[in-house]
Amino acid sequence: MQKLNSLLILLLLCQLFGSAQEARRIVSLVPWVTKSLYQMGEQKRLVGCTNYCQVETSDKIQVVASVAGVSIENVLMLKPDLVIASSLNKPETIDNLKKFGIRVEYQSFPKSFEEICSDFIKIGELVGQEAKVKTIVAQQKERLMKLKASIPTGKNPRIFIQIGAKPLFSAIPNTSMDDLIQLAGGKNIAASFKIGSITREYVLKQDPEVIFIVTMGIVSQEEKDTWLKYAALSASKSKKVFILDADKTCSPTPILFVDALEEMIRLMYYF
Amino acid sequence: MQKKYLHWTFYLAGLLILLLASVLLSLSVGEMNLGFTDILNILRHGNNGMEYTILSQIRFPRVVLGIAVGGALSLSGMLLQGVYRNPLVEPYTLGISGGASLGVAFAIVFGLHQLIGSFVLPFAGFTGAFLIIFLVYTFSSRSGRINIQSMLLTGVMISFIASSSMMLLMSTTSSENLHGIIFWIMGSLDEPDMSLISVTLVLALGSLLVSYFFVQPLNALRLGEEKAKHLGINTDTTIKILFLLASLLAGVCVAVAGVIGFVGLIIPHLMRMLVGSDYRILLVSSFVSGSIFLVLSDVIARTIISPNELPIGVITGIVGGIIFLLLMSRSSLRSKENHG
Repeated sequence: MQKLNSLLILLLLCQLFGSAQEARRIVSLVPWVTKSLYQMGEQKRLVGCTNYCQVETSDKIQVVASVAGVSIENVLMLKPDLVIASSLNKPETIDNLKKFGIRVEYQSFPKSFEEICSDFIKIGELVGQEAKVKTIVAQQKERLMKLKASIPTGKNPRIFIQIGAKPLFSAIPNTSMDDLIQLAGGKNIAASFKIGSITREYVLKQDPEVIFIVTMGIVSQEEKDTWLKYAALSASKSKKVFILDADKTCSPTPILFVDALEEMIRLMYYF
Repeated sequence: MQKKYLHWTFYLAGLLILLLASVLLSLSVGEMNLGFTDILNILRHGNNGMEYTILSQIRFPRVVLGIAVGGALSLSGMLLQGVYRNPLVEPYTLGISGGASLGVAFAIVFGLHQLIGSFVLPFAGFTGAFLIIFLVYTFSSRSGRINIQSMLLTGVMISFIASSSMMLLMSTTSSENLHGIIFWIMGSLDEPDMSLISVTLVLALGSLLVSYFFVQPLNALRLGEEKAKHLGINTDTTIKILFLLASLLAGVCVAVAGVIGFVGLIIPHLMRMLVGSDYRILLVSSFVSGSIFLVLSDVIARTIISPNELPIGVITGIVGGIIFLLLMSRSSLRSKENHG
């Protein structure tokens, strides 16, 4: 009986401790964290975000940050119990927030699907939804396995993912976009690159079989037309130059990553 | 007198040979290194092969744009320095690049390029530059006369307003638009639209031709505005036309190739050191030297960390700045020796 009582007290303490850790008023300074919270259905905990975050107006989440920086004053007025920051924020901002006793969790940009999943789980843990996020991740991993199985064997098309124009920028290794190429069974033409700027000549010389243009504020259609104009280019011959939605391709959440992969596989092999 | 013309011919011929060499170098080097005979063979047997595509659709347009933009920026700087009689003036000091950048940022933020088409970006850049020119001109003219000093100050102030307004747009827009604006500002000669390149070249050469109608007034202005008037020069009209011409050139360049700094400042200085201060030779030699400088800078930008590419403005700033400092220290050393 005494043992049972001790166990119950222990469980109660764990519950209490857990609740204290569980964030209820969150300021997200990271757009993909905001998106993750929406995908978990936990947006009600969001009280502040950046002007880059995509939120529903009806949720009345206050914008507290822009490219110019974070308004510490506005963050403090929201009385958050957790601020999620990233490398996009100045270290001074994070130090300042900590100085006011606010708990700050740092989120680095995930470089692969595995990192995206573990980050998603971490965010889920912060809001006390481990079970829910683990289910979402398991579902997406299963989807990913099915997609991989659908890739025709023996094909490793050379891929160029363009993320900028004038100057031309490419997706490089150690990024989630490179992981998308690998998982789609392709070969990144910029596989040896450490930085993303690339010459148009190099792209032509590597003769990619598929070109994806990510709509990162560039004139995507104009770029597509330019690639299609090069008659000697394999991607141009087979008309495999496609525009991808930046929102989907560049947002590192398990659901959007697998959505992007699904679209890429469809365009690469079944278009 | 004969000796002077001989010198000028010698300098000009030398610069033209250098330009030809730069063009050949630019056509030869890159991901695929091509010899002179290879280039001729590829062009002669013109087909749809990869080498022909690279040569005709990538390197050739870049070279033409380099000649046009380099020449135009340098000519613009030379004209402005002549009008203002101030060696620190360049097309960008007067806020022209700030205006063009603001125009492009506006078009991206409000999605005009998605709604109307891609040509809207250079057009917006030019409109922004022209708006700034108009403001500088209006604020500096009183009862039909232009006050040169106030024009310079107005230009600098409007330039600050333009860059701050751009910061305002950038801080309130989406990350996608921000990305687009930053990429555009970096500047590049990677322009696939040959018609846009042709227009830029025609405008640049046309402006060089027009500027030669103002050689005498420019030479007279070297003595000062009052003395130029006594020599029978209509200084007000000259200043107005040359200011508009220089601004138009800079506006077009920024609109097509983004912000490429230092060309309009460094090349006119170098040319003054090299060929003297007579505008009859200065205008054309500045144009050709600007073209050489930008074509070579582009070669460096796309080969130095190949297959990565550097923004061309990085090269024009670093290389141009170092060459300029070296030449300046040598000339000051020489003048000390002469006086000693």
